[in-house]
Amino acid sequence: MINLIEPLKISSASLLANRTRSLLTMLGVIIGVAAVITLVSMGEGAKSYILDQVGSWGVGSNSITINPGKENSHSIEMNLTYADAQALRQKVNNLEYLMAEFVGLGRLSYGKKEYKPGFTLGVSADYPFAYKQGAAEGRFFTHAEDAGRKRLAVIGKTVARNLFGEFSPLGENIKINGISFKVVGVLEEKGTMMTYDMDDMVLIPSTLSELVLGTNKIWEMFITVNNEDQVPQAVQEIKKILIARHRKEDFHIHTQQGMIDIINNILNAMTGIVSAIAAISLLVGGIGIMNIMLVAVTERTREIGIRKAIGAKQRDIFFQFVFESVLITMSGALIGITLGTLAAWGIMTWLKMSAVVAWGAVYMACLVAFLVGTFFGVYPAMRASKLDPVEALRFEA
Amino acid sequence: MGKVEVNALRGINLTMEKGEFVSIMGPSGCGKSTLMHIVGCLDRPTAGHVHLDEVDIDELDDNSLAEIRNKKVGFVFQTFNLLPKLNAIENVELPLIYAGVGFDVRRKKAQELLEIVGLKDRMFHKPSELSGGQSQRVAIARSLANDPSIILADEPTGNLDSKSGDEIIHLFMDLNTKGITLIIVTHDEEIANHSKRIVRLKDGLVVADSAVTQMTEAQRHNGNHPA
Repeated sequence: MINLIEPLKISSASLLANRTRSLLTMLGVIIGVAAVITLVSMGEGAKSYILDQVGSWGVGSNSITINPGKENSHSIEMNLTYADAQALRQKVNNLEYLMAEFVGLGRLSYGKKEYKPGFTLGVSADYPFAYKQGAAEGRFFTHAEDAGRKRLAVIGKTVARNLFGEFSPLGENIKINGISFKVVGVLEEKGTMMTYDMDDMVLIPSTLSELVLGTNKIWEMFITVNNEDQVPQAVQEIKKILIARHRKEDFHIHTQQGMIDIINNILNAMTGIVSAIAAISLLVGGIGIMNIMLVAVTERTREIGIRKAIGAKQRDIFFQFVFESVLITMSGALIGITLGTLAAWGIMTWLKMSAVVAWGAVYMACLVAFLVGTFFGVYPAMRASKLDPVEALRFEA
Repeated sequence: MGKVEVNALRGINLTMEKGEFVSIMGPSGCGKSTLMHIVGCLDRPTAGHVHLDEVDIDELDDNSLAEIRNKKVGFVFQTFNLLPKLNAIENVELPLIYAGVGFDVRRKKAQELLEIVGLKDRMFHKPSELSGGQSQRVAIARSLANDPSIILADEPTGNLDSKSGDEIIHLFMDLNTKGITLIIVTHDEEIANHSKRIVRLKDGLVVADSAVTQMTEAQRHNGNHPA
């Protein structure tokens, strides 16, 4: 077995003896690797942030969202109705929950207190199940109560705090746009999403939307099916039913998988571009390393001659120089990974997102650095190992 | 430009015994260095044979020659040829590294050798922190690292002042009395007179091969120990 430890020690000693030059030689690799690691880590961080946000809204992979208006059209025709929702509820197979949402402006009052919540929504009784946000206190209204146009309201924590302070709002009567409602529940806390306070919200039965909010057009329909495999089929059924009712496709359908696919596509394209730039940077860095190594071989001809005179074999010299080259690229990669991770962490912290260490990119960077170091180190090392000892000893630097 | 073959040596027949102390003398370009390179297995003769410890070295490949240089030959050069980035003890350890000797053993051996050449207190100095004489001592210690059959010294005092040169020559003489075979290439008669045999080369041929005379020995003794 060839002892590789000694050449490795010799190589690292020689790199340490020329610290400035070693560092400058590494720079190409450092920059390339740091750039990739930063951007990939940020991309991964952004991805998990977006997925977290989507997930925190209770949207699962078995969900389908229907919005009025053609996809990508500028003017949105509001033309989805309560009747459309009822039709889907009856006809779509494997349907789990259906939540029709009407959006309007609400002005609340309780006694002399007035408050304008962020959202006032008319929703179906499936709301707590579809969005996985039930009542923390009290209860939600039922389908029967929705169909029966009962004046019941469920309010968010922020609204409760503003109107009732420390007191329980349950059973109290409030007015929404002048119409009296009884508070039957307070929603579980959701926190903020994309800077919106999701607890600053009042929910009323969808059937009262026209009366209270002045709209009978659905802003959004949210449907879940029993499991995610049934999503594509359900999408086809929804399209068929709605087109049959409207005689045109004046709505658009999103699935969570579709959104995730889009996000992934964007991030993968970005990673691809970054990797291509990094590959160029590593190639240039590698050529730089080869150049420096060739200079080093010439400069150290005498050293090579001395080593050979006292018994270094060709392979000893070969490994010494290859290892120098590999050590340069590997150290460069490690420095780059460290800097890149720190940069990503810094930027993501500044953006109030959490950075993710992109382990795949880290392993890839190490592997590529190793290969670049080996590839560009072999030629100079061959030159060094083939030097004639007599001529090498005669060499004057 | 093609390479021109220069025959530096043209038919030399020399035998050296174990324990000998031989000087090779001659004017510049007489083939002294070439002879030393061939005896030291740095180069192969274009024709003829070189036997070292019964091994015919002109039939060996580069790696086997490297192994012989490592184990059987010790070089001492005019310009010392120490590696400037390594300290004294690391320079002495180099041949042991290439011989595959582990750290503990080789460090101990290198320490012993540096003590022998009188550099016990300079072990961790870099060559740039050593005088010429001290550097040459390190080189001699290095040449002894693998207990070689032969030490080849090419103008070992050429870059030294006369006092350091004297010390180096006496170090060689001490080593020879301990049984080490020495060949010194020099053009300095006085140094050659300290050896036991002088081989004179001219234009690639041996022109004289004689033992150093008793008289010279006696004179030297008288010079060192005045009555």
